[in-house]
Amino acid sequence: MSEASHRAQPPRRDFFEKVTGSAEFISDVVVPGMLQGRILRSTIPHGRIRNVDVSAALALPGVEAVLTGEDIAGLNNHWGLFLNDRPVIAIDRVRYVGEPVAVVVAVDERTAEDALDLIDVDYETLPFVTDAVEAMAEDAPVLHEKSETLKDFYFKGEAKPVPGTNIFQKYEYAHGDVERAFADAGRVFEDTFSFPMIFHYAMEPHCVVASFADGGLTLWSCGQAPTAIQKVLSRVFDLPLAKIRIITPYVGGGFGGKASVKIDPLVAAAAWKVGRPVRICLSISESMLTCRRLSASITVRTGVRADGTILGKAVRVVMNGGAYADTGPAVAIKAANRAIGPYHVPNLKLEAYAVYTNTVPGAAFRSIGGPQAVWASESQMDIIAGALGIDPVELRYRNMLKPGETVRPDLRPIDVDMAEALGQASQAMSRLDAAGPDAGLMKGVAVGASDPGIMAVAAVLVRLKIDGSVLVISNSVEIGQGIREVLRTFAAELLNQPAEAVYVMTPDTALAPFDWGTGASRSSVMMGMAIEDAAIDIRRQLADMAAAAFGVAAETVSLCPGGIVAGDRQWPFAELLHAHYGIDSGEVIGIGRISPHSRDGRLMQAPLFWETAAGMCGVELDEETGEVRVRRYVSVADVGRVLNRASAEGQDEGAAIQGLGHALSEELVYEDGQPVNASMIDYHVPTIDEVPEDFLTVLIESGTGPGPGGARGMGEGAILPVAPAIANALASRHGIRIRDLPLTPERVWRALQEKKAKP
Amino acid sequence: MLPHRFQYHRPDNLEQVFELLDRYGDDVAPYAGGTELLLALKARVLRYEHLVDLKRVPGLKGVCESDGQIVIGALSSHFSLATDPIVKRLVPAYAALSDNIANIRVRVSGTIGGNLCFAEPHADPPAMLAALGASLTLRGRDGQRRVAMADFIEGEFTTVRGPAEVLTEVRIPAPAASARYAYCSFGHLERPAVGIAAGYCPERGTPHYRIWAGAIAGRPAQLRSVEDALEGVPPDKLGDVLAEAASAAAQELPAHDDLQGSADYKRHLAAVLTRRAVEQAAGLQPRRKAA
Ligand SMILES: Cc1cc2nc3c(=O)[nH]c(=O)nc-3n(C[C@H](O)[C@H](O)[C@H](O)COP(=O)(O)OP(=O)(O)OC[C@H]3O[C@@H](n4cnc5c(N)ncnc54)[C@H](O)[C@@H]3O)c2cc1C
Repeated sequence: MSEASHRAQPPRRDFFEKVTGSAEFISDVVVPGMLQGRILRSTIPHGRIRNVDVSAALALPGVEAVLTGEDIAGLNNHWGLFLNDRPVIAIDRVRYVGEPVAVVVAVDERTAEDALDLIDVDYETLPFVTDAVEAMAEDAPVLHEKSETLKDFYFKGEAKPVPGTNIFQKYEYAHGDVERAFADAGRVFEDTFSFPMIFHYAMEPHCVVASFADGGLTLWSCGQAPTAIQKVLSRVFDLPLAKIRIITPYVGGGFGGKASVKIDPLVAAAAWKVGRPVRICLSISESMLTCRRLSASITVRTGVRADGTILGKAVRVVMNGGAYADTGPAVAIKAANRAIGPYHVPNLKLEAYAVYTNTVPGAAFRSIGGPQAVWASESQMDIIAGALGIDPVELRYRNMLKPGETVRPDLRPIDVDMAEALGQASQAMSRLDAAGPDAGLMKGVAVGASDPGIMAVAAVLVRLKIDGSVLVISNSVEIGQGIREVLRTFAAELLNQPAEAVYVMTPDTALAPFDWGTGASRSSVMMGMAIEDAAIDIRRQLADMAAAAFGVAAETVSLCPGGIVAGDRQWPFAELLHAHYGIDSGEVIGIGRISPHSRDGRLMQAPLFWETAAGMCGVELDEETGEVRVRRYVSVADVGRVLNRASAEGQDEGAAIQGLGHALSEELVYEDGQPVNASMIDYHVPTIDEVPEDFLTVLIESGTGPGPGGARGMGEGAILPVAPAIANALASRHGIRIRDLPLTPERVWRALQEKKAKP
Repeated sequence: MLPHRFQYHRPDNLEQVFELLDRYGDDVAPYAGGTELLLALKARVLRYEHLVDLKRVPGLKGVCESDGQIVIGALSSHFSLATDPIVKRLVPAYAALSDNIANIRVRVSGTIGGNLCFAEPHADPPAMLAALGASLTLRGRDGQRRVAMADFIEGEFTTVRGPAEVLTEVRIPAPAASARYAYCSFGHLERPAVGIAAGYCPERGTPHYRIWAGAIAGRPAQLRSVEDALEGVPPDKLGDVLAEAASAAAQELPAHDDLQGSADYKRHLAAVLTRRAVEQAAGLQPRRKAA
């Protein structure tokens, strides 16, 4: 919680529904005639499917249908976002343990699950590879023989696969001459870091209900990007977009694990096969086999002068993308960019690869590529500081970009004051130390700068009713982050109406205009701007009506709570609309549309804004067990403007604690091609006991963002600095430099042992 | 995931329980808190056609003192033991252990009997109960028998309990007023990787120690060599004797590499925790080097 006094703000409307249990989550959706599906998954990492015998399963009473690869021959049966590489259901080959091979559709979940045991799959095993570096070797088994790229499909640009290899994305960038810079530099540091696969762990697993009717398809989906799902389904089933409807009730968390498209085509195919609505709700263990963060090996070479000035930096990222590309190509690019840091790097070379392996497909995850990149680059900053005998904070200040300076000449100049953020972090930590004497805690620091991949494509409908109530209709998904409340706040503010009068509708693509999706810290800013435009639209219509009805000058008309004012005269909406329509009924519909051309083209340059964070930790180490405890943590971010303090702090705290899991315990482990801890019993997410006793979020309100009132996006920054800050703290006190995550007690203990062995 | 269909029985006395266990043989399991059983059924690693709920059977829950023994009903939850006045007064270390098991939801439903009968190696109670010299009462149709805690668990997920027997109570001899116990465990996942129970039991001025290691292997192991090394050594003289004996004994413990850690690391933990548990039991400030 911040120290700042909490503005009197009514609690979020969804809180009440959620706390009382009346909120309808996707897993609560019931559609008449709905059947239940369960998924049979591959037990081998790589192989050909010789035969799937479903006869015994079909004979089980209550089983209505079994979908297998054979059924989908007539569909456009592969899909993807960057590469058209993924079958709706395994057709003749499986590429990872957990890949869907059959779906049983039955009258209830238990019958469907019982039937899974009765399906017999005959596999011919193929050689497999689960490690990305091994997958890049000459003789590695190749997972996909051909690759079909999809240019500008949903993301701008296209992936650059290397034909005949497992590399599905190769990205390169350079400015200046990095080798020359290294030759000029006094010292060149080269360090390689690894980052594991991490599971999103949204509390609600993936769940979708699909129903074909009236020549169209309706989906109740947990997806964060309803219009992406719509597009993919339109291709798979050859249906017009106008006949595909995606409805998105409350979603129980996503963190990117429900971004773009996940199980939607599979559930739709099951419904298509059986000819009745089908619901599939995964277990958490199955969600763990659905997607995960891309693991990475990152090598950073940095050339510095003796005074610590960075002259050049070369970054090489190899990411394990799993069996299907998903959004991996974008993740790889972002990982490269996010390894730069908020620093002057006059000579820069970036190289990133995303590679197929026989593992769960990699996917977007809160700050795509960011934690991987910042783990490497911010750990190395402290290595450099240590070697040059410069204080780590001072080294960062010396290289820090000032607002308006560029990270890369082709990107938007940095629009936050990182030095201020770092300063605020130090001050806040000092305040904590003063309040509770510091008990010898080790301190570590790190910063992160990320370039959210925001497509400036969004639109909203705002309907002002005659009684003054307002309905906001958009495709922004309420996934726990509080977007509905933000839209409510913006609509109330921009229409000058009380917040109680504003209602935000459940997203439904049949009613709400196209929006790119909920992710990349974009919705508050993008939908905020759209509402800004919709409010202007509404004011203009009301002003024209008032001019005609009451003879006032249109430009003098503005909104007041419940009505309009012009000069010293005031009319309730009812009077104005009654005069206009001739009946005491009606509404005014405002439309807000945002495209790259909006705001005089200012939205065109990437990123739309920079999302940054400074983190500082106070850590305790039990040298005998290797256990690391983070006692104090300070997280600082410039969010432009705080729209809802509880939500904003919640986002910041949530991101940091998720980062704590990345740092200390989380890792999906593979052995012999099998994920060995894909359950919440063996995979440890931080509990309340591991959360630092003192946690301070400092939100800087610089008002410099592109959103209404200077709002910027947030919620993905605080995850960045946590792991390197902790590792830096350990290094500063104990001289151990750990380059692999997570910092498990055993790993820390071993580092201490090694240190003792060779002092 | 969902379990296979099973029939649920809720008898209200032990006779009916025995009758059901008898009738269904391999197809039946007693059901207490369900925190292990239901998970295993859902994961479909276990399958039973019948479950016999023990929760309605009177007399299986609660704690009393009888003949110098603390008698704990097998259906007592970890939470109830963590807060029980008798347990807190006579074996506070066991109350503390109970308070530290899992999370509050598991503590409230999970029972001491279920924990022991499941014999999942990564558990806290067995080593401590062994150190306390506890015995277990097993009842079947043909009567009852007492088994020492030390002999109850045979290995991972196996105990001497017969299929038609029910664990009804755990009996702990009330420790002498001068005795003190402590339990130290460690693990970075949900359950303990290693747990060490230690007792300091002076008799007529001569210190004796009882030390058991749990979780690290398939069954709790008594660290006799440490007990012997410390025999008669007063707390203020434990010093290096303890550290050396603990390290030596830990090296002998059967351990294997798994998600909880490598075998050598777990042996190292066993040595550290042995030292800490003995020092705590002996009333010394733990010599814990926190940076
Ligand atoms: C998330 C999680 C974390 C955990 N962490 C810990 C931990 O840190 N430390 C620890 O020690 N344990 C831990 N546990 C295990 C927990 O202690 C046990 O789950 C619990 O005590 C088992 O008791 P129960 O009543 O739920 O057993 P049940 O699940 O009901 O039964 C378990 C087994 O014992 C049999 N059984 C039960 N009662 C009797 C009886 N009276 N007579 C005969 N047979 C019986 C059942 O047939 C079944 O086979 C954890 C469990 C979970 C799920």
